[in-house]
Amino acid sequence: MALMQIAEPGMAAEPHQRRLAIGIDLGTTHSLVASVLSAVPTVMRDHEGQYLLPSVVRYLGGGSVHVGYPAAAAAGQDPHNTIASVKRLMGRGHGDVQTLAGHLPYDLVPGEGMVRLRTVAGEKSPVEVSAEILRVLKERAVETLGGEPEGAVITVPAYFDEAQRQATKDAARLAGLNVLRLLAEPTAAAVAYGLDKGSEGIFAIYDLGGGTFDISILHLQAGVFEVLATAGDSALGGDDMDHALAEWLMREAGGNASDPLWRRRVLQQARTAKEALSAVDETLIVLAPSGRAAHEIILSRGQLESLMQPVIQRTLPACRRALRDAGLKLDEIDGVVLVGGATRVPAVRAMVEEFFRQTPLTDIDPDQVVALGAAIQADALVGNQREDLLLMDVLPLSLGLETMGGLVEKIIPRNTPIPVARAQEFTTFKDGQTAMSIHVLQGERDLVQDCRSLARFSLRGIPPMVAGAARILVTFQVDADGLLAVRAEEVSTGVRSEVVVKPSYGLDDEAIARMLQDSFAHGAEDVVRRRLSEAKVEGERVREALRTALAADADLLEPAEREALDKAGAALAAALSGTDADAITHAAEAVEAAAEPLVQRRMDSALRRAIAGRSIDDLGD
Amino acid sequence: MADSCFQCGAELGAPPALCASCGAVQPFRADLSLFAVAGLPETYDLDVQALRARVLALQKGLHPDRFAQAEPTVRRHSLEWSTRLNEALAILRDPLRRADYLLQRQGVDALGERVKVADPTLLMTQMIYRERLEDLVAARDMTGMEALRQEADTAGAHLVQRLRGLLATLPCTEPEAAGSAVRELQFLDKLLGEIDRSAESLQNA
Repeated sequence: MALMQIAEPGMAAEPHQRRLAIGIDLGTTHSLVASVLSAVPTVMRDHEGQYLLPSVVRYLGGGSVHVGYPAAAAAGQDPHNTIASVKRLMGRGHGDVQTLAGHLPYDLVPGEGMVRLRTVAGEKSPVEVSAEILRVLKERAVETLGGEPEGAVITVPAYFDEAQRQATKDAARLAGLNVLRLLAEPTAAAVAYGLDKGSEGIFAIYDLGGGTFDISILHLQAGVFEVLATAGDSALGGDDMDHALAEWLMREAGGNASDPLWRRRVLQQARTAKEALSAVDETLIVLAPSGRAAHEIILSRGQLESLMQPVIQRTLPACRRALRDAGLKLDEIDGVVLVGGATRVPAVRAMVEEFFRQTPLTDIDPDQVVALGAAIQADALVGNQREDLLLMDVLPLSLGLETMGGLVEKIIPRNTPIPVARAQEFTTFKDGQTAMSIHVLQGERDLVQDCRSLARFSLRGIPPMVAGAARILVTFQVDADGLLAVRAEEVSTGVRSEVVVKPSYGLDDEAIARMLQDSFAHGAEDVVRRRLSEAKVEGERVREALRTALAADADLLEPAEREALDKAGAALAAALSGTDADAITHAAEAVEAAAEPLVQRRMDSALRRAIAGRSIDDLGD
Repeated sequence: MADSCFQCGAELGAPPALCASCGAVQPFRADLSLFAVAGLPETYDLDVQALRARVLALQKGLHPDRFAQAEPTVRRHSLEWSTRLNEALAILRDPLRRADYLLQRQGVDALGERVKVADPTLLMTQMIYRERLEDLVAARDMTGMEALRQEADTAGAHLVQRLRGLLATLPCTEPEAAGSAVRELQFLDKLLGEIDRSAESLQNA
């Protein structure tokens, strides 16, 4: 199948007939723009021949703005007006970025809606800052292409939620770009390779950037890209390798480790050395701590690799998790694509090769591959080629409901293809319960307090029934944009209630990764807590049932039976105030055993009451 | 009797979702089985690769991304078809869920809460498997875990083979036997999941 055939020499449209389209990789640390030029996807360079644009914006007085290298160079001296890593703030509220605030030197303006930054040029939103970056890339494209692009495809992380995607679109509009589509970064990388190979199959996209790690497993067949699973760690990247090396260098050279200036200089040298060792086997580092003699260190690639090994190893749990979620074995992976500058490090490549038991695809520059894929998709969308691609996305985090005892019942597990609809039946806990509160949560952990709350609403007007008799059907529908609608309905009466959940400042990557990690770190602990919670719910149910039964029919019991039952009831109450799940379960079982005669006689008497006054003929029905 | 397009009246193919003649997305049909939604005959012995290719090809025409600019009714129809196609792929690709679905179609709830596992041999087997896994985890024995995984895999493959026979003609004439095979397969599926999770946590530790 000719997946993205555009390179047929005779078939390529004449330059003047081609419609201009660009692909943009709007990255956390740097951004790029690419376009399909004479049938070849190509990144576009600035006047100095650089294709990477640091994603840094500096606001100066008098309305002037610097973007890219000059802005990055000023970050140290003018931190409040120099915005780096703005991608982390996109679509985020003030509350969401509090956790980031410690790392960001910006002056955040408190308030509702998306976070704003106070600069010398006034308050700026992340959308406006991103638009400055996009504007520079667009200018570069206009100069290279000799005309305005008709449209652009912009890439976003697979994990980006609705609010983050919307903010990215808004930034593009602000920069005067017509957004054809937002494309997930791993998909863009696969598109770039699909062009070269014309292949079909299952691909793992290993994306190790400066500060984030993502692994996505994609299935490519008949022009449909299906995301099978995604996982990652948004607090892990090439920067961690630089820090590991810098720490070691500081220990070797001595000097004041708490001096920020010294730290920054060592970090810079660590970075340079790491890059050098991708090409050579040894490099000389000269460190001069203030007030001490210069210290020369010869660093070999082997030493560097053993320093980086712990960081690289930390990417493996996510790889295993993604494979398991996709239901795949290692030998089912047809290809591994490397994305992100940090995958240039030979030790990373070796580890990927060892883990996936195959040589990763490296023929496309890992810094460029996402932008190139976006350019190919943009070219297709403006109609330069017939073949169109469809992306089938998945839910990045599980959705569930709060049930008794503060537990989360998962309704749709993470990595389920969207759109999706799932329904689950719940019931009432107490006799005569007429309302039920529905609490929608997102996350991987078992307990409500560890998941993100998305919405709460209640279902009212349930007719009074005995506990457990009502049938409440809760339906989750997630559409193709990841938008969730929840509906609750009492089946026998048709009483219903619904809510559309649009988290305006939903989860950020960090939160997603943290929640995923926690679910693994706390797995065993969760099991214990879940068991206790379940035992408590069951114990409370038994106690409630006993109370109801005694209130109505205590006279049916012999004094000795009553005494035994009271004793069992007291033991259950005592167990319920403790934290031993087994003790609660046993006590509840003891109550049920002691209540056996009462249950029997209650049923008999209910039956007698029901048939009183009716003839045998009536009962035949 | 073939369905016809609500817009142009042309005859519709299977599934009756998209009109080949005028391209209109048809109103969603909740009455169609998961097989019918994928335009496939109802059968247990199913080529999963073909199912997947079929569903993806249909998604290419029906996915909401294709109708981003369309009017709300069309978008809703597209969403409903696309959702149901995802459900069809998720359930029919899995030998366990596929068997359960076919039995449900004839009114047999093999995995329902009311069904008590009455087979003492199965209960015994389950206990033995679980104890073995616990021992292997305690001993951090990865090789043993891999062997146990293979064993469960093989047992599962045998069950699927048996189901293939039992469900060769539909409706199934031995629903009891099929139901018990489905329950056994469900247990093995859960066990495999536990083995994977245990192995993963040992690897990550």
